[in-house]
Amino acid sequence: MHYFAGIDIGSTTIKIVLTDAGDRIVAQDCQPTGCHFHKNTLTAFESLLARAELTRHDVAYIFSTGYGRKLFKEADESISEISANAMGANKAAEKYGTIKTIINIGGQDLKVIGLDEDGHVKNFTMNDKCAAGTGRFLEMTARNLEMDVAQLGACHKQARGVPLTINSTCTVFAESEIIGLLANGNGKEELVAGVHYSIARRISRLAKRVGIEGTVFFDGGPALNEGLVEALEIELMRKVVVPEFPQTTTALGAALIARETFCYLGEAVND
Amino acid sequence: MQSDADKRFARMQKATALHLAMEGEETLQHLTEFSDNPKAMDYFYDLFRNLYKNGHKLPTDKKVIGTMCLQVPDELIYAAGAVPMRMCSGAYAYEQVGAEFMPAKSCPVVKATTGMLHVNQALWGEAVASVVLPTTCDQKKKCGEMLKEMGYPVYILEMPSSKDSEGARFYWQESIKKFTLDLQKITGNKITSGKLQTVIADMAECSRLFRKLNDLRKSKTPLIFGKDIFLVTSAYFIDEMASWRQAVRQLIEELEVWRQNDIAITNRQAPRMLLTGSPPIFPNLKVPILVEQAGGIIVADEVCSSNRLLHDAVAYDEANLNDMAAALADRYLKPCTCPCLTPNTDRNRKLAELVKSHAVEGVIYQAFSGCLPYEMEQKQISNTLSKAGVPMLYLETDYSSEDLGQLSTRVEAFIESIKARRRKK
Amino acid sequence: MGEIMGNFRRAINNTSLSRFRFYFQAASFLLLIYGGYLALNLGDQLPTFACIFSEPRGGSCYLFGLQHQMTTPWTSYLSGRGIGLLVGFLTFIAFFIVFNKAWCGFACPLGTIQDWLTALRARFKIRYANYAEPTFQRLKKIKYILLALLILIPMAIGNSFFGLPKLNHDFGVPFCMICPGRTILPLFSGDFSQLALDLSSKSKMILTALGLMVTGIFLSGSFIKKRFFCLFCPMSAFHYIFANAALLRLSKDAGKCSRCGNCYRACDVGIRAIADDLQHKNIVKDDCMLCGKCVEMCPEEGCLQVKFLGLPIYQSTAEGFFKRMQGRNNAK
Repeated sequence: MHYFAGIDIGSTTIKIVLTDAGDRIVAQDCQPTGCHFHKNTLTAFESLLARAELTRHDVAYIFSTGYGRKLFKEADESISEISANAMGANKAAEKYGTIKTIINIGGQDLKVIGLDEDGHVKNFTMNDKCAAGTGRFLEMTARNLEMDVAQLGACHKQARGVPLTINSTCTVFAESEIIGLLANGNGKEELVAGVHYSIARRISRLAKRVGIEGTVFFDGGPALNEGLVEALEIELMRKVVVPEFPQTTTALGAALIARETFCYLGEAVND
Repeated sequence: MQSDADKRFARMQKATALHLAMEGEETLQHLTEFSDNPKAMDYFYDLFRNLYKNGHKLPTDKKVIGTMCLQVPDELIYAAGAVPMRMCSGAYAYEQVGAEFMPAKSCPVVKATTGMLHVNQALWGEAVASVVLPTTCDQKKKCGEMLKEMGYPVYILEMPSSKDSEGARFYWQESIKKFTLDLQKITGNKITSGKLQTVIADMAECSRLFRKLNDLRKSKTPLIFGKDIFLVTSAYFIDEMASWRQAVRQLIEELEVWRQNDIAITNRQAPRMLLTGSPPIFPNLKVPILVEQAGGIIVADEVCSSNRLLHDAVAYDEANLNDMAAALADRYLKPCTCPCLTPNTDRNRKLAELVKSHAVEGVIYQAFSGCLPYEMEQKQISNTLSKAGVPMLYLETDYSSEDLGQLSTRVEAFIESIKARRRKK
Repeated sequence: MGEIMGNFRRAINNTSLSRFRFYFQAASFLLLIYGGYLALNLGDQLPTFACIFSEPRGGSCYLFGLQHQMTTPWTSYLSGRGIGLLVGFLTFIAFFIVFNKAWCGFACPLGTIQDWLTALRARFKIRYANYAEPTFQRLKKIKYILLALLILIPMAIGNSFFGLPKLNHDFGVPFCMICPGRTILPLFSGDFSQLALDLSSKSKMILTALGLMVTGIFLSGSFIKKRFFCLFCPMSAFHYIFANAALLRLSKDAGKCSRCGNCYRACDVGIRAIADDLQHKNIVKDDCMLCGKCVEMCPEEGCLQVKFLGLPIYQSTAEGFFKRMQGRNNAK
């Protein structure tokens, strides 16, 4: 049996997905990128293989994606995270019907991808040089509030008052604004909600450039944050679906493309 | 005794020269690291290798007339015994100089051009007899005022902002006729109809060669990279006309042999791209190089540093100065698709035709941050292209290399989506 | 086979149509002015200004016959005269339909004389004059007024309009009386008699005086303005009524047009639509004389085409354009 790997090397996390010839997920994992990302990627890959009781020899084809895609030489090929994201989202969203728009928030970027009827990338847009409204922004907020990023969603849900307005979209300036708001005695919950709304608003502005259609598929680490999902649904005025494993959609896409490419190269997928 | 300001200026000159040499070398490295470049391209690689090596020297000993946009008829300058040199610069080092005294939001071409003239003034001042500025976009116009302030002899060539009416056409013809007279005063040489006729024929030969080169890009077998074409046309800005023609002729000959033997420069399946928008000028060939590194090939372009510069040719009816000046005026205004003109629907038509003639699969729209006309025309062009069923990638960028990572992700995704679209068909 | 045809086409598209036209015009001129010496006669229904007053001609202008036929009472058209009128008209149409307005550009002796005057002026490097666009638009209507008058005035001889008295027979061929063809073309066979002022009646005196005046204007006008007279020519107006049915055509592929305006500036009659019209495929306008200069000056592959029965016989190519331009510089 042949297996396939998609490795998404992002700025914050390394995501790896192993699939079999039937495109079923065999194993998946997320690990922090750290400063030795190449070593960390290899270690993460090896431990995932061990967990799935496989060896490197069982993996027929590896596709890398994400910011570090070109630097991971062990991969057979690399693909941009936009194409991989679209591919993975199509698969992950099977139970929600066809999707036309993908919103992805990564560690340092923000993407809106429009898909055509066949699930191919029709158009897309990304944030420019600035990291406003990305995962970094959420991390900064959590740090200032002395809580974990994973707690932000629950905190948002507890907000009773009106969400606070965060004026700065710049991560650096927003930090001082948040400290100021806290110093003025505002509640943490309203502040977190405010941060989510400011991100959601920025995303909806970006999404308008692509043109939102159909159901919106939301992935990337921050999609685990139910507060942000709620804010996004309100700002986009649409239903937003989040897959079961929002962090690994792009890696899944890379694995699927690895299988596709492998078949295309004319090799038998079975034993 | 050198004043502090002088010392500081000398330091800036030194730093700029160094940055320029580094930048030029880096671009050339990227250009040449593609395998199997045509032999005839070596002429152009060498030309630019030497350009910034020991300070940026003017390429000629003759009197130089600087031109700030492509609407200045080079023919008249040659006929007046001077050498035209397009001043639009693509150097980030010069842009950084310009950024010291120009608004941060202004376009990099204008910043780089002004910066270049500022830092090289002592070096070039004497040789540059005039800087001719057609009244195109607002930023160029204001940049002209700055150059005047620096002490450059700036010549304002009045151009209409619309080209459709007969009034606009005659206004421009009058501008060109006046320019013909004034040029003779600037250079001290008489422009005769005989001389002008010869120069027009020489430049028609340049157009003819460029069109030939452009026709070779129609070939199904990819023969030449867009990055090389942009280098060839960037060379036209500064090179001596006769040697440029000779080098292009050799390039065409080599490519003709390739075509006959069906030799491809790259993967035959490489997605065929068109580049439009803000001009790629050496050393800023960032976007073309990115596109071609990502596996695409630029088979056509619609930019003022390439196709728009060389495609059109002058046709006079009678060989007298009056008729030839009018013919020159028409050639530099009527087919022009500069976004400073309104309406500019000819640009849409031209793009649609290029897409057809060069079998283009995707369009890259490069807009320099700060160039509002190009940024604003994006919508209308994208509408035209989507009607024609051709996808377009809009890239807002500048001369810095900070956004390389972001740009390459976008370009790669775009090329991947074109390949996916092809599979679907 | 295809390659031979392709090479043949290419050779044709590379030629200078202007030079061919120059010789063709000269031959037509000789034929129409002196054809009689060779007992050649193309008849009296030609759609061009070969003049009936000139002997020994090789054919003559339909407008003379048309004016003449208009002079009879309307009732007579129902008899044999009507058949004569019809036959004359059909002959004219048959001639015209084949060559369209190329009659003006390639055959008209008056047009040829104007072109010779232009060549003379160009040799002296004297600048030419042009109308401003609005003036051009206003003046070009005159030819339709002249056409209406040359039909209505003779009609007023045989018929009474609104009970007004009928005109006398001096107004039988009113346009011919003021046409410069009547005064100038006979000169080429040594006949100076048409230059005389006819004092036999008041109306004849007025008409011949007017004719001499027009002749003077014609000669001086066409020296400084290319094809000066054609803008007012009623034959040109008459042509245009049938031009859409003609076999020879000039067509434009707007997609390929860069609107560079080379064609417009080359146009001797100053038709702006040739450069700026992006709607119509058939680009023959009322002032067009199908001289093909626009095709020669167009650098875009296949943008302008001269077609006969839908088949392109001469078309714009980049190669041809650059060859011709280079040729002109070499000939300097």
